[in-house]
Amino acid sequence: MAAARARRAGASLLSAAIRHRSSQSSSPQPGLVAKTSLTSPPWPEVKLPDPVEEAKYHAAEVVRKVNGLISAGQYGRLFAVVHFASKQWKITSEDLIMMDNVLEAECGDRIRMEKVLLVGADDFTLIGRPLLGKDLVRVEATVIEKTESWPKVNVRFWRRHNFQRKKIIANPQTVLRINTIEIYPCLS
Amino acid sequence: MVVLSAARWVRSRLSDRFWRVQEVLKYARHFRGRKNRCYTLAVRSVRRAFVRSTKARREKKRFLRALWITRIEAASLEHGLKYPAFISNLVKSQVELNRKVLADLAIYEPKTFKSLAALAQRRRQEGFLAALGDGKEPEGIFSRVVHHHY
Repeated sequence: MAAARARRAGASLLSAAIRHRSSQSSSPQPGLVAKTSLTSPPWPEVKLPDPVEEAKYHAAEVVRKVNGLISAGQYGRLFAVVHFASKQWKITSEDLIMMDNVLEAECGDRIRMEKVLLVGADDFTLIGRPLLGKDLVRVEATVIEKTESWPKVNVRFWRRHNFQRKKIIANPQTVLRINTIEIYPCLS
Repeated sequence: MVVLSAARWVRSRLSDRFWRVQEVLKYARHFRGRKNRCYTLAVRSVRRAFVRSTKARREKKRFLRALWITRIEAASLEHGLKYPAFISNLVKSQVELNRKVLADLAIYEPKTFKSLAALAQRRRQEGFLAALGDGKEPEGIFSRVVHHHY
């Protein structure tokens, strides 16, 4: 919007200058505005591909190929980015994760993590906007251990004011083992 | 004879002084100089060490975030994008990955990071076209907002 406005102001200034210089010259044709620093935007001109054609290409080539790869099982190790316990984790199978909180599941319970943001293999990546569908990915984990952290010492001290407080904090921690990450070929 | 009150010359004296001193010295064993042996010097050093570790636990979060941002900036410059452009265009494309995960992807999953950079670049160009045209023209594909109904 600002670029368009600047362009119009530049053109009117230029035509006013020409009018001032010679009253008999004909007005410049609409295609021949002089090139100033503001006639074109400062970023390079880029031509994007046609949206209809691109949608066709995407549906036909990309989705079909990726679906084929997934259903044929031609991917190696999958990694996923999962949002769990208000943190994002980049996980693979057979991974150990330790979080600084209490889970309401017993040790040995199998958990399914539902908020998956990204899944990737060697040849393709599925990026969720922001999440991927639950029918597309399945991430399973087991609760292994529920313990406390090492006793952290919190000391506040203010010199020359006779102020010292000492507190020992042991946060509860949970350890999860990621069992599997599975994807199903239901892209569209 | 019946004694109703304790005799005056009996004072209560510490019997576990050793263990009270060891409680402090055990935190000072890896220090340098006399403060790892002498109690008076060790008390002061241990107190300063605890205060510094308490404050450092709050600064660690800021420090790590700055580190992730530096790494993401370096990786996106390798793909020809600056950090503000990369992050803002990713957010506009509704990709909610945080900086910790982006830095990990930049290190361990270079192909995925390259695809994210390409996505951000494409969204950036669609943004420029939308700013220029500003008419009812076909909008870019990657600028379409996905609506989820939960």
